[in-house]
Amino acid sequence: MNQSRLVAPTLKFLVAANLALLISSAGAQTPAGEDLARKVDQLGDELTKVKEQLKQMQDEKAAGAATSAPASSATASASSVSPNEPATILFSYGEINYNRPTKHTEDTQVDLRRFVLGLQHRFDEKNKLVTEIEVEHAVSSADDPGEVEIEQAYVEHALNQTWSARGGLFLIPAGLLNERHEPTAYYGVERNFVETAIIPTTWREGGVEIVGNFDNGLTLQTGFATGFDLNKWDATSTEGLESPLGSIHQELALAKGHDISVFGALNWRGIPGLQLGASVFTGGATQGQATTDSRVTLWDLHARWTPGRWDLAALYARGSISNTSELNQPLVGNPTLIPESFDGWYAQAAYKLWEHQEYALTPFVRWEQFNTARSYADLGTGLTPEAAKTERVITVGANFQVSPGIVLKADVQRFRENDDANRFDLGLGWSF
Amino acid sequence: MFPDAESFDSRQIKLDSSQMQQLDSQGVQARSARWVVRTAQRGKTPLGFVVIDEVIGKFELITYAVGLGLDGAVKQVEILSYRESHGQEIRLPAWRKQFVGKTSASPIHVGDDIANISGATLSCKHVSDGVKRVVTVVDLARKNGALQ
Repeated sequence: MNQSRLVAPTLKFLVAANLALLISSAGAQTPAGEDLARKVDQLGDELTKVKEQLKQMQDEKAAGAATSAPASSATASASSVSPNEPATILFSYGEINYNRPTKHTEDTQVDLRRFVLGLQHRFDEKNKLVTEIEVEHAVSSADDPGEVEIEQAYVEHALNQTWSARGGLFLIPAGLLNERHEPTAYYGVERNFVETAIIPTTWREGGVEIVGNFDNGLTLQTGFATGFDLNKWDATSTEGLESPLGSIHQELALAKGHDISVFGALNWRGIPGLQLGASVFTGGATQGQATTDSRVTLWDLHARWTPGRWDLAALYARGSISNTSELNQPLVGNPTLIPESFDGWYAQAAYKLWEHQEYALTPFVRWEQFNTARSYADLGTGLTPEAAKTERVITVGANFQVSPGIVLKADVQRFRENDDANRFDLGLGWSF
Repeated sequence: MFPDAESFDSRQIKLDSSQMQQLDSQGVQARSARWVVRTAQRGKTPLGFVVIDEVIGKFELITYAVGLGLDGAVKQVEILSYRESHGQEIRLPAWRKQFVGKTSASPIHVGDDIANISGATLSCKHVSDGVKRVVTVVDLARKNGALQ
């Protein structure tokens, strides 16, 4: 198939050239019939040559592939796809983080934040399965803080060179981080706050998705999926104030499926190094189990530009929940009511200062502003909670790449509102 | 890649240990001692060279072809097969055009003369490394007379 694509332009050229020759010759000479027959014979000869050439290249390709198989970190099992490509691939990423609050050093923690094992199996040229299992905080038991989660489990079917379809549990295309959240892919020990508190990275839903990649640089992703469950809102906990959507996501764990959400993301990468994108996700969230219907909507705009050694990024995300006035009435008196809106943005600049072989040192600075309760719906005088204060965080640090799959990180974070949270962080991350 | 070509003459290039070391000293991992280089020809006149190679993207193989002029400079890079779930953007003509004109003296290095694609960092790096390797191997073969 690949060979035929390579040869196709040559074939087209030869056919076009001969036809042009044929037409011009037929008009210029007489008797035309005899000349035409000669030209057709000539064209036939050329096509035979091209066919021979194609066969020769295919044979050589097969021989070449057998002698120059590339190095791979992949773990192979029996292959049904290609003699030099494993059908089943094991991959992993993880991170160990050290957080030292500078004003409360007694709260210093070291944590195996996450360890992820992934398995991808390619059934054939068009079909594959992608799965990831994650353990957070090292130990998961009734007495320990850890969790075991299936982060992705979807089947992907390639429809053609442009379109593919996915079905199962997959990451929602939102922001810059959600789909690409390995520690080697972002700056700083911890993921940024906007893409944690506003966009609940790592955010996945069960559903169907189609993905289109176009030659003009556009990537379109859209589909239907499960959504949030507002019945889970715990007004007695502060969890909803830390991440409104993170506290009501379902993660396909006996997910309520009465309300189906729709989503879409458009990214443009038509200029090398530049990415401009937007996403939206919207759907019902009371799942037919409350007297009031409510809709959760989250959208974002994002940009990333990597000119030379620079890596610049910016993102704005905003979420809203409708009919919260009715939903909050029975919750009045509790510490955490459901916000009507929440939003945040950040701007980040990183510069690859030093590089030697695989080593690279990249300092960065990031400024973030986010508010997990930008506004509350009116509940009446004295009952409507005040909007939360907008937190502003500056993070200054560096990523040190030991190899493309291993990163050491260090940073300092200063919080303008809650300065008790100021901290120094160290991290070790890997991904392969 | 070479629309004027009438035939492709294949040569198997075998690098010896000193040539492998020479590549290594240029910061290029040869990966394989044996390479197939096709010379595009019109009649008896050589037009340039084509090398088809494969690299790992993140998890899966990327098959690509590099077309080079007789001077060893890149004329065209084509992605023949890309099957990763993310990073399809390396197939974009705008990204591949960055390689045109590169020679063995060019860095061909993401972050220097080749722009990265966000979210496809490993694919960008591995294809760039691959093109650099192909350009260097063809340059070596040209200078040694192995392609005449």
